[in-house]
Amino acid sequence: MDVRSLLLFSALLRVLLIIYGEWQDAHMEVRYTDVDYLVFSDAASLVASGKSPYQRSTYRYSPLLAFLLVPNSIIHPSWGKFLFSASDLLVGLFIHTILELRKVPENLCACALMVWLFNPFTFSIGTRGNCEPIVCAMILWIIICLMNGKVLQAAFWYGLVVHFRIYPIIYSIPIILVLDPHCFRYGLKPALSSWVGQGNSTQSIPSTAVPDSCGIWIALTSMFTRARILFGLISGAVFFAFTGLFFYLYRWEFLHEALLYHLTRTDPRHNFSIYFYHIYLHYEHEFSVVERLISFLPQFLVQLVLIICFAQDLPFCFFAQTVAFVAFNKVITAQYFVWFFCLLPLILPWSNMKLKWTGLSCILLWMGTQTHWLTWGYLLEFKGKNVFLELWIASILFLAANTFVLIKIIRYHTYSPLFQRLEFSSSDNDLREGKKSI
Amino acid sequence: MESWQHVQVHICRILGIQLIFLVGFGFCMSSSFVSCEVGRCTSNVGSTNQSLNIPPYFEKYITKSYFDKYDSLLDSDFLDFISHELFPGSCELLLDNLNLVLRLSVQQRSLIGDGSHRHLSSSFRFNIQSELIAELPIHFCEAIIIEKLPYGIFADPFELQHLLQRGVFMDAAVFGDTNLELPSVHSNRSLVEVHMDVDLNTFSRHKDGLEINIDLPLHIRYPPLEESGYSSIELGAPDLFMRCSIEAKSHNQSCLLMLKDNGVALGNGPVVWRVPSGIKAHARAVSIVTFISAILSTLSIVLTSVYYSSTKLCKNLKQS
Repeated sequence: MDVRSLLLFSALLRVLLIIYGEWQDAHMEVRYTDVDYLVFSDAASLVASGKSPYQRSTYRYSPLLAFLLVPNSIIHPSWGKFLFSASDLLVGLFIHTILELRKVPENLCACALMVWLFNPFTFSIGTRGNCEPIVCAMILWIIICLMNGKVLQAAFWYGLVVHFRIYPIIYSIPIILVLDPHCFRYGLKPALSSWVGQGNSTQSIPSTAVPDSCGIWIALTSMFTRARILFGLISGAVFFAFTGLFFYLYRWEFLHEALLYHLTRTDPRHNFSIYFYHIYLHYEHEFSVVERLISFLPQFLVQLVLIICFAQDLPFCFFAQTVAFVAFNKVITAQYFVWFFCLLPLILPWSNMKLKWTGLSCILLWMGTQTHWLTWGYLLEFKGKNVFLELWIASILFLAANTFVLIKIIRYHTYSPLFQRLEFSSSDNDLREGKKSI
Repeated sequence: MESWQHVQVHICRILGIQLIFLVGFGFCMSSSFVSCEVGRCTSNVGSTNQSLNIPPYFEKYITKSYFDKYDSLLDSDFLDFISHELFPGSCELLLDNLNLVLRLSVQQRSLIGDGSHRHLSSSFRFNIQSELIAELPIHFCEAIIIEKLPYGIFADPFELQHLLQRGVFMDAAVFGDTNLELPSVHSNRSLVEVHMDVDLNTFSRHKDGLEINIDLPLHIRYPPLEESGYSSIELGAPDLFMRCSIEAKSHNQSCLLMLKDNGVALGNGPVVWRVPSGIKAHARAVSIVTFISAILSTLSIVLTSVYYSSTKLCKNLKQS
């Protein structure tokens, strides 16, 4: 099946699901539509009538999302679902673009694409009205911009996506590191390392190799390249510009609901995180600074090590960081999984993991521990049984499954830096591998 | 393939331009937004009368003015509010007559469902003296049911809005603490006001009298920790009112009547909601095991990453 057919079929599937969702909402007690979609829609209708979207309680997103959904009140309430599903398809297109740029064979591209397009979790999330596909599309577009050497564009979208959803801030250091002067020259299209078959790594030596003691000063000063400085400045400026604009419009309500809430969020209600029961049992007293630091330390350490080890293999670094970020977060809801599902197809062509039986065992273990957790969650929430302890143990098992799967993925991954090392002559005019970028 | 790439670039440029357009559009729309004072906003279903000078019995929601005056729901304050602020002098004659005509005979309440999401089913029956009711200059009546929810129980205002759209209630609003996410320890009480349409003339022809049935969806917050692992929350009886629009000489007037239970006990006893709660004795063990699990996972990932990245680095160096 070629890519165009896959995308067309996926689009049709999503349209049918949206139509079915409307029918289910109108005729059944249990809605198909996500509760969050109703929150976005209410906020959008408030914006349409000239009011603050934060008058809608539990609206904790950028006002941009409410603006995007204003047509819900003007055209049709399903506008947002079509927008999110279109973003979902755009993610598929971008996955194909990235793999094509890295010269992955067409059959592998198609298989990787199907992992995203036909993942039941993926196609239900957009059609139910969840906005995560927009974030995923922006992140993949940032990767494409970097691959095409378009630093300014990448910086703009990066500043915007961090404003929209804070979690992509974890990608800032890998992006800065990948703009290595040995591989990336501002104004020139970088040379991408191509797919060379599973099990074979590329010829490129990662430029995170430790410099000798005499060159440390040179290494430190060479960290501040034009590309890196511009990326940092532009993305920071875009982030603060949007934040400043919405602060001007909506004041502290915006700052608290859209930004500060997410930075300080602890939820005692049951969720996949191992911390939920600990938080509930200690909710009557405030956590001390030491307790907060201790709970942040695993997350910080894992992120740091993954960045140091894999930054040059940017898609893989993003994927591993996102899996770890979600697994160690204080609150985990199912919609967070789509953050790494969109990156999974980018690393599959470089994985030596066979579906039988390592791959299958990872899938079954991950889904099995999730189902196990959901069973106890159902008994607690819908049957009123005191199963807090069992549910918490289930969340520990889910963390163990996430850790196991991540370890397996790292073990079977063929390390492949995104950019090839440039070969320079004494003159800058004599670049052998660079191409002009716009 | 090139034209396909151009299409992709074109799509992305259009998306970028649309995004900028929407920001500008949103900026224009927001230029006249209504500010909402944090902490005082309630997610009322339906619009509310903004004037502070209108007596509570004339307002769309009779309990709204209570929350304009008080920050939280206390039974003693609410009783004072009912006694002193809800009943005007001018309707006394009508109210005395209505009191004779309408008497609460039966009320039944039960909690339907299991778990954290249930329905409070309430049924009220009134005896009506049909020969007297025809003499009263009543234009229109509505029953107002006030559920004062205890700590730990809340109603979702957006769920009520959905029910309104389906015509289940004539009107409904939630006042007080409408934060749906906080546990009991950090939340305050809330109150639900439900309006049901009542046609006294139609019901006066019924021998059984007037019956009002309400099915209110309610949810539970995480309760405080208990040694037993369960917390019991009792739901008190609601306050019932009848508000009628009467024909006066110059204009129609609203009169509010509180329907007392006349000593009628609840048909099936008080309503108690048994909720699972965390057990304090678990705290230490849970904290220790949680952090050990996090540390073990961290170490596994860190060691794997360092080992395999250095292995791959050596392999790359050998190949080059």
